[in-house]
Amino acid sequence: MRGHLPAGDHDGMDPAPALYVIRIKGHLGAMVLSAFPALDPHHHGAHTVLTGLLDRSALYGVLAEIEALGLDLLEVRQVPPERKSPGSGDSRSP
Amino acid sequence: MTIISAPAGSGKTSLLRAWAGRPGQRRRLAIMQVQRDQQDAQQFWLALLAAVRQASGAAGAAGGAEPPAATPEFNGRAMVDRVLAELEGHRGRVALVIDDLHELHSPDALAQLTLLLTSLPPNAHAVLATRRDLRLRLHQLRLAGELAEIRAEDLRFTERETRELLGASGVTLSEAGAALLHERTEGWAAGLRLAAISLAGHPDPEQFVAEFSGSDRTVAEYLMAEMLGRQPDDVQQLLLRTSLLDRVNGELADLLAGRPGSERILLGLEDANAFVVSLDPERTWFRYHHLFGDLLRLELRRMLPEEVPALHRRAAGWFAEHGQIADAIRHTQAAGDWPDAARLLADHSFSLTMDGQAQTVRALLRAFPRGVDDPALALVRAGRDLAEGRLDEAAAYLAVAETYAGTTPPDRQRRLRVAVASLKLSLAARRGHLAGVLEQTRFLVSPVTAQTDEEIELGNDLRAVALMNLGTVEASLGLADAERHLREGAVLAGKTGRPYLEVRCLVQLGFASKIHPFATVQQRCREAIALAERYGWDTEPMTVPALITLASTMVWTGEFDQAELWLQRTTRAMQADTGADIRLLVHIVSGMLQACRGRHHEALPEFRAAEYLGSQLADSHALANQVTSWVLATQARLGRPGEARAALAALADEQVGSGEIHNARTVIALAEGDPAGALDAVRGVLDGTAPVIGYVTVVEAQLLAGLAHHELGDLRARNQAVERALALAESDRLVLPFAMTGSRELLEALPRHQTAHAALLADLLDVLHGSSPAADQPPPPDAEELSPGELRVLRFLPTNLSRPEIAGQLSVSPNTVSTHIRSIYAKLGVRDRSAAVQRARDLRLLSAARTR
Repeated sequence: MRGHLPAGDHDGMDPAPALYVIRIKGHLGAMVLSAFPALDPHHHGAHTVLTGLLDRSALYGVLAEIEALGLDLLEVRQVPPERKSPGSGDSRSP
Repeated sequence: MTIISAPAGSGKTSLLRAWAGRPGQRRRLAIMQVQRDQQDAQQFWLALLAAVRQASGAAGAAGGAEPPAATPEFNGRAMVDRVLAELEGHRGRVALVIDDLHELHSPDALAQLTLLLTSLPPNAHAVLATRRDLRLRLHQLRLAGELAEIRAEDLRFTERETRELLGASGVTLSEAGAALLHERTEGWAAGLRLAAISLAGHPDPEQFVAEFSGSDRTVAEYLMAEMLGRQPDDVQQLLLRTSLLDRVNGELADLLAGRPGSERILLGLEDANAFVVSLDPERTWFRYHHLFGDLLRLELRRMLPEEVPALHRRAAGWFAEHGQIADAIRHTQAAGDWPDAARLLADHSFSLTMDGQAQTVRALLRAFPRGVDDPALALVRAGRDLAEGRLDEAAAYLAVAETYAGTTPPDRQRRLRVAVASLKLSLAARRGHLAGVLEQTRFLVSPVTAQTDEEIELGNDLRAVALMNLGTVEASLGLADAERHLREGAVLAGKTGRPYLEVRCLVQLGFASKIHPFATVQQRCREAIALAERYGWDTEPMTVPALITLASTMVWTGEFDQAELWLQRTTRAMQADTGADIRLLVHIVSGMLQACRGRHHEALPEFRAAEYLGSQLADSHALANQVTSWVLATQARLGRPGEARAALAALADEQVGSGEIHNARTVIALAEGDPAGALDAVRGVLDGTAPVIGYVTVVEAQLLAGLAHHELGDLRARNQAVERALALAESDRLVLPFAMTGSRELLEALPRHQTAHAALLADLLDVLHGSSPAADQPPPPDAEELSPGELRVLRFLPTNLSRPEIAGQLSVSPNTVSTHIRSIYAKLGVRDRSAAVQRARDLRLLSAARTR
């Protein structure tokens, strides 16, 4: 369990939220993006990258939503928060 | 078996439809679609069973089975067996088609489904469609090459197929255009269909495709927006506003859209093949393709966010008016009206549970956010905790619920109080607490001026439940009113169509009949079990009281092998939260059985366990003295009279004065080699001054006296005592006291011509010598010989193994086993498994089977 993250209001069962970077093929428009209110979208070339702080349940919820909407999932990556540089953009994403 | 596993919009359902409807389709099809977010295993199975039954076309099998009724308790394995039996019964090939299997969110149901799929009869083929690979353990099917898979790759449209689709939709597009479209959509079915809809009648198809191709937007979103934008305003509004429903009809759509004419639009959409599908042949109910609906819903939230809660509320109102409470509650929750949802759930949780939707209730309860601590929910939580055996928690919630009920307006208050009283009654019954039961019953069985049909129905349900619980507790305490109340409950439940309650009342009635002649008891128990079997509930926990009572009577009448079987059935049907009063009885019967077979070492722990459980019950148990007596007697018989004496000294005065304890003292004295002291001890029972539970204690006392006289050399007194015991035991054909007291020598010493009970004497000696009692009927004159295959199966019938397990042992298919079993039953002239075993024993077939 990540002890360094700020304490959220979660019970002991859920691992603490982590930063996730999720890459989807195609540009997600307003309609589909409204299904992911907890995530921050960016267009990268022909893909869309969604970034956000998610606990385990929320992550699987997002994956289920991606499945339900028939989106093409390219990548799911967990990013250690200590290495995230403050400010916009994740230095690890191409 | 075939699995179609591909993402949303790949065309799975279309494929299934096309395959089902193709000319030359020889198989009968049982088609079902799993409801959205199905968490209720029972609802899933009932729908599946209904589909299978519909495919066979017959109203009922030859056995006259009733249509399956939902029960508050649900046995998945029994249901699987039932479905398998239905499939086996089909003549010709049958296909079981299950669509949207990924919506099945009940892990129990998935496990049960695996069991079904790995035991399919040869004439049945299963086809499953799902969006993702599921946790169905189908390795053995895969290894055996019996699993075919169709995956996304297989469903993709080729370029040529794309052109065909466009052509069939009346779209003129150049080859290059079609190629571009195919490339952009990657052959994804939903994308192509959406494109086709927009392209049909489009002034410039090539331009459309070019723009579409040039956009980076995801296929679904782009085409969806296009298609939606092209619709006239009223259609758009309809689609958006009804998107939050799982299914819709014209009336409901009009309500949400705020204008009439929806049915026409829906029909038109279906005709245009635009992702709207009718659910019934009359085309009154419709459903949107999941993907389509999901996108619409997102759009609705985005465009008309302030309207969403109001739409949910309107839908909830409509569903409530039409008696579809679960849906009403769901929509109320979706509207965020938690207090209203809690109120609805509390008001209806009882009737939903009686309708067999207990898991639905639980799912609805789980949907409340964790912070919501509405007192209305306390009632529902109490019901759930009670069902799951957490009695203390249930009691706590009930206290909250009761306080809450007092604060509600009069029209709800009566119903809530009744629901609370009913749960308190069940709780008290589970704890064996009579005072608590009586307190609640006074409230429940008082006549009510009901106002609506719904209230009358609810009132009847609650009354039946109250009668059942009251009768149950009265029975466990040996009170006379038990029978009257249980009969009344059974009759009421039968009239109001609550088979679950009816069976339970009859089961309890059998259980309550313990003071009657054993023949009566057995008949009532068998009646209850037979009724349960008719509904397929013979392995349900609710039948346990009847099963154990039947086992008990058989030990009393010396049918030890049969008793063993029924005892096994009982333990199989029991669940972890079976009440202490039943478990107590199971221990007593096990102890009795062991003691009768001379295994006192094994008997003692059983009696001890029974004694302990009895001490846990709130009220003193009717059999407490009997159990304690047997504990002491068994200790003495095991050569530990000192221990027994010490325990005896620790007993309370009322206990010591009972006839049963007198008998124990007698056994101790005999073990200590003091026959005179034994006679002293037993005198109180013989002259009637000591109170006894029943005449069986007197029989025991006579035999113990006989043993004492034997030690003292007084043979005349000995024979007299034995004769008196036989006289008492005659009408019920009582065997147990003779076996337990070890009175075989006494019986053998009795001159045959000096007894008026020669037949009983002969039977007793037979049993005590270990041979089986004479069969009640002579064997059928022309009993057909069993084939070698049948004999092999027969060997397994006395065991606990189910049909699939027997099939595994014999390396044949479950279907073969079933066929053999049917034949065995026919040849032996019996109707169920335990009767078959008994018959086979009588005809000495089991030993024959063993030697082959």
